[in-house]
Amino acid sequence: MQKQRGTETLRSVLETTVPHDVGIRSQRQRIVDAMVESCAEKTYAATTIADIVSRASISRTTFYKRFEGKRDCFDAALDWCIEELRAAAAGSHTPADPPSLAVRNAVAAMLELMAAKPGLAQLVIGEAVAVEPAVVKRYRDILIPALERLWDEAGARRDSGADPKLSFGRAQVLVYNQILAGDTAELPRLLPDLVYIALLPFAGHEEALEQARLAGSHSSTGLGDR
Amino acid sequence: MTDSDGDLRRWRLPRGRHGLPRELVVRSQRERLLAAVVQVTAARGYESTSVADILEEAGVGRESFYELFDDKQDCLLVARGLLVDDLEATVRAAYGGGEAWADRVRKGLTAMLTWFAADPAAARVVVIELAAVGAPAREIFQTDFNRFVKLMDDELDEAIPGLPQATGLGVGGLLARVYEEVVRDRTAQLPELLPELLYELLVPFLGEDAAAAERSRAEAIADAR
Repeated sequence: MQKQRGTETLRSVLETTVPHDVGIRSQRQRIVDAMVESCAEKTYAATTIADIVSRASISRTTFYKRFEGKRDCFDAALDWCIEELRAAAAGSHTPADPPSLAVRNAVAAMLELMAAKPGLAQLVIGEAVAVEPAVVKRYRDILIPALERLWDEAGARRDSGADPKLSFGRAQVLVYNQILAGDTAELPRLLPDLVYIALLPFAGHEEALEQARLAGSHSSTGLGDR
Repeated sequence: MTDSDGDLRRWRLPRGRHGLPRELVVRSQRERLLAAVVQVTAARGYESTSVADILEEAGVGRESFYELFDDKQDCLLVARGLLVDDLEATVRAAYGGGEAWADRVRKGLTAMLTWFAADPAAARVVVIELAAVGAPAREIFQTDFNRFVKLMDDELDEAIPGLPQATGLGVGGLLARVYEEVVRDRTAQLPELLPELLYELLVPFLGEDAAAAERSRAEAIADAR
């Protein structure tokens, strides 16, 4: 029987793994963490395998057992970041919530996660786009259908003529700029504007603006509408 | 690419003793190097570009290069800086003036899309290749972004209540869209996106109906050409 420590996340507890596998997993995660930290500090372009190996306290041989190279490792780091964000968004609302509220809470949850993990924010919003411009399409292919489902299930969709693809670009550049300003901790301040553009294509200008104002008045207390 | 090669060769000064003042030679060498770094970087990507490639394209010697620039990165960033200055001046000139705000936005946006479309190599260096230079790219991106937000903000009476970053959203959306089109090698077609981009830019400020009216106007103007 595997002993459960308090530091384990819910997910790792739920996953059935043998201890040996847990060891490999955490070593892999250490390497992923090292990639995230190094990218945040000096960019992907300037990151070397030597940086990763030294941060993760592993040997070069171990690195190449887990990953084919720098890019492969970066891709794993990106997958991890995306999964963290997805989980934060999914956990922020219930199917019973009206779509506007669900979107507001999901945006708030993702901003809070990025504020708490600046390395993750930098990697997802900044580095990944520099490394592989096509990643923007991957993000959109996750986010836009998720938003569409939310509105379609509620039967509340209203076509505003605004393109959700463009909305996404706006959000990304705005968040990137905030991160570059060194204000990752203040990312939740962007909540009203991001709620507006997440809602605009599906709910229209008036409703989006109304929700943005609500988000602004809630976020001034430092908390989303939970 | 062949056209610009031709241009660059015409700018080339005669080799050896030509009796031209040194200052003029240096200025011409600098301009050729700046043009060359844009062409070569756009064609090969920053990573794969070497100083030797830039020298070959410019027809300038290694020693002269290092008298003018620290390294490849310095040369590219100087060239890119000049391009962004030119883009900003172009947009500002089109956006300024006494007409209705929506008309000026349309003109500024048209100027921007036309600027990119006219020189795909410059567009590539300005929007894509910057990231490849590493850490300095972050600060430069931020500075550029804020320049264009300020450009738009300067002409606004006040922020939209509830949307403090409305201009940031607008500039961000444009940048993201231009980036995407340039990545897909559709830089030359950017001006076709004017009506759609104008609508997106205006909606937060004017609402859907007024923004749609401006979109129709932009379409009519495009059709009339």
